[in-house]
Amino acid sequence: MAKVINIQPITRIEGHASIHIQLNDQGNVQETKVAFKSLRGFEKFVEGKPAEELPRIVSRICGICPWMHHIASNKAVDACFNVTPPPAGNLLRELMLTIAHIEDKLLHFFFLAGADFFWGPEYDFSVRNIMGLVKANPELAEKVIRMRHKAKMVLDSFSKKTIHPVAGVPGGFVKPLSIEDRKIFIDNVNELLEFALFALEYAKKNVFPKFDESYPGLGEITTGFIGMVDNKGSLNLYDGNIRLMKPDGTSKEFRPDEYLDHLAEKVVPFSYGKFPYAKSWGEGFSMDLDAPKGIYRSNTLARINVADQIATPRAQAELEEFRDLYGRPAQSTLLYHYARLIEEVYTCERAIEILKDPRIINPEVRAKVEPCAGRGVGCVEAPRGTLIHDYTTDEKGLITRVNLIVGTTHNLAPINLSVDRAARDLIKNGVYDDAILNKIEMAVRAYDP
Amino acid sequence: MPIKLAGESLNACSGCEISILDMGERLLKLLEFVSIIHFPLLMDSKQGKNNSRIVKLPKADVGLISGSIKTDEHLELALAMRDSCDFIVALGTCATHGGIPALANSFHNEDLLEYCFNTEGTDKTDGFPSHIVPELLDACYALDEHINVDIFLPGCPPHPDHIFRALQSIDKNESFSQSKKSVCDNCPATRDGKGQVKTLKRALELPRWHAGDDKKEGFKCFLEQGFLCMGPVTRGGCGGDKEHARCIMTQIPCRGCYGPVKKESNQRLSMLNALASNGIDISSLPETLSMLRFSGGHGLLRPLPRIKES
Amino acid sequence: MPSRFEPIIIGFLCNWCSYTGADLAGVARLQYPPNLRPIRVMCTGMVHPDLVMEAFSQGADGVMIMGCHPGECHYLEGNTKAAVRAKVISVILQDIGVDPNRFELKWISSAEGSVFAQLITDFTMRIQKLGPHKVKSCEYRDRETIR
Ligand code: SF4
Ligand code: SF4
Ligand code: SF4
Ligand code: FES
Repeated sequence: MAKVINIQPITRIEGHASIHIQLNDQGNVQETKVAFKSLRGFEKFVEGKPAEELPRIVSRICGICPWMHHIASNKAVDACFNVTPPPAGNLLRELMLTIAHIEDKLLHFFFLAGADFFWGPEYDFSVRNIMGLVKANPELAEKVIRMRHKAKMVLDSFSKKTIHPVAGVPGGFVKPLSIEDRKIFIDNVNELLEFALFALEYAKKNVFPKFDESYPGLGEITTGFIGMVDNKGSLNLYDGNIRLMKPDGTSKEFRPDEYLDHLAEKVVPFSYGKFPYAKSWGEGFSMDLDAPKGIYRSNTLARINVADQIATPRAQAELEEFRDLYGRPAQSTLLYHYARLIEEVYTCERAIEILKDPRIINPEVRAKVEPCAGRGVGCVEAPRGTLIHDYTTDEKGLITRVNLIVGTTHNLAPINLSVDRAARDLIKNGVYDDAILNKIEMAVRAYDP
Repeated sequence: MPIKLAGESLNACSGCEISILDMGERLLKLLEFVSIIHFPLLMDSKQGKNNSRIVKLPKADVGLISGSIKTDEHLELALAMRDSCDFIVALGTCATHGGIPALANSFHNEDLLEYCFNTEGTDKTDGFPSHIVPELLDACYALDEHINVDIFLPGCPPHPDHIFRALQSIDKNESFSQSKKSVCDNCPATRDGKGQVKTLKRALELPRWHAGDDKKEGFKCFLEQGFLCMGPVTRGGCGGDKEHARCIMTQIPCRGCYGPVKKESNQRLSMLNALASNGIDISSLPETLSMLRFSGGHGLLRPLPRIKES
Repeated sequence: MPSRFEPIIIGFLCNWCSYTGADLAGVARLQYPPNLRPIRVMCTGMVHPDLVMEAFSQGADGVMIMGCHPGECHYLEGNTKAAVRAKVISVILQDIGVDPNRFELKWISSAEGSVFAQLITDFTMRIQKLGPHKVKSCEYRDRETIR
């Protein structure tokens, strides 16, 4: 008999979403929908606010990646007001963004998604989580909690407010970094780098091998990818061009402020989140599992797929190993986790690089700002993907129009496809259990939405 | 017996939950006297059995709710939490006062939908999402506009010190209290009295912050330097048990994220009143609605009337 | 025929001038509508905007503040303070959907009994035209159902 399976809410993710699987009379999957249920209206309700206040407002879009919104917003306001931050201001912004990435990846891998792999999707749900890890492997858990906290405290000691930050300001950064702080940070980030390398080794031994054994092809789809690269084609999280890669591996590059020529968004009836697609491929949009159109993905796997290389040595070595195994572009959905830990190594290395840059302690951290009419696009890579803030101001510098494409939204269509794929593969003749449903959710968690 | 804790987040950003994790190693201590039995961000407990839209939550001693109420689903969850938990803690300024998302209360829902689904770059649509997605309520409400709340923990997000202390006090059966003072009350700024400020500057430049002539740490009150600082009308304590206010110590004025000093007051009215009473021209800032950016619930922000009252 | 709408008007009257002016109007048996509920305060300078907002949220249809003429405040600057606050009150009223015409600040000296009577007459008529002020919280969920 035809019926609908609701998985509600999807757990261990940020945000509010649910899965609805429509079965046909034979008990096989007919249609799958992943609904994104939050509509807060940021784009509208910031109207009329002074642009310089936005970095302190829009961070509330997400409490897990507030730094990325904060900094993308600052960049957009800079562009509206035509200012360029001095080098130290830019470096400090990038430093904060990078350390926030370090923290986020630990959070996602160990606190949210990891539990599926440490125990397996069928394990008792009351244990299958970070609290369970504390009981089962207190040593590892304690280390994870301490390391994540260490990254957080580096941000905290300098910028005080780490959730919904205030330290980035239009024109640059609020204050310079002292020589003493710089030294302490380098020590701390070095420790984080060591942990990142340990975590990657650990996962290569204990987690990634399970992907093929236990979840062959879970939620696997073939899509294009999006991510930012610098002028040498290397992975960059703070600045650069957006590279949009087709499923066949060919790609096009464009400046962030040209995004409207390449991307468009579709409104679907079952989700408050809009579904972006690659307009410039000229094939339209379709979520047909057998012939998807315009679908590309963002987030870790996407970034390491579009980048030609990573400019730091340890992460580059890991990337080469990864590519030897899975090719480029790698498509398997669970590989997001692998890519995440490679990026973890990169962010630690990059943070040290930034800290060692002699310009970082320059006391000149902010350029003078005058409000004016303008339009500006601010773009950074958030953990969940290419984050675009596009603002327009009037001559007083008040906001008249805002368009936001948030990292996660790029992945909304792919998440739908992956979940559909997983559901079709796992639910047969009306047979399913909690473990199967959790496996289907794992297809969502890989994307870390 | 550890206390059983359930958590739900409504119209929220997850920042409040991350603030719980920011307790760091105290998290391990917390887990000694708290047992988490429902918490969608961290564990897989579902709202009910598959297939049913009826929300059924496990019985708990304490329910932490973050976020405001903006959809019928949020409302349903809030009510279910109230029914299944002995204590309800409103976690964060969204839950206590509406928070940033309550800025949406300045607009009608149709205007929000109309705008968000018609931005440049969005393909033309003939309808807004209406299938499966929850229905929007007429406003973004603070929790206590719909359910009784036992402990209010404002802050965007609340400091981990306060969250820890609140849970500890429930465990030990003690009463929980928090600062009744304003951010200014324990601000290290030097203040010389009213000063000569007649207008306020926008946050386009930074207030001066200096080590002082005699090498003493010190800075002049931001308001007295002519910058809007919401310190006077904002509940103090955001720096936690030991530190000063967080934005102030980052060298930037307060924007009011801990909500009003007295739970019921109107931050914007109090601030404008304070400015006006001190001879500062309140029209010198381009807009003042965003003085309610954290506390626009409780009917304080409303859609500007389209049709005038006749 | 429906009975005429009788608005509730709250007046904050300063002790030294306006209240005395009101008294005078009474003694002189001047006619003015009975809708005003006067509240005697020592000085308009002590009427915090919160009180005005409170009056509206408790169901007042109109609110007036009346004090001494500029320069004649017995506490020197109370009424100038009231004047700047009146601006604040108008701004806030507008944003919460209350017509700012429902609020008025006026100066009345102790000798101006007839001016007082005229003012109250005009203001009452103005509020009658505006109609009842619906306390907006009725849009909100019925408080009784709070659990
Ligand atoms: S109070 Fe702040 S941190 Fe908490 S949910 Fe609301 S916006 Fe996020
Ligand atoms: S107004 Fe701001 S800077 Fe001045 S004392 Fe208050 S909190 Fe401190
Ligand atoms: S200073 Fe003000 S805005 Fe900043 S954290 Fe404290 S209360 Fe919030
Ligand atoms: S004493 Fe009458 S207004 Fe001050």
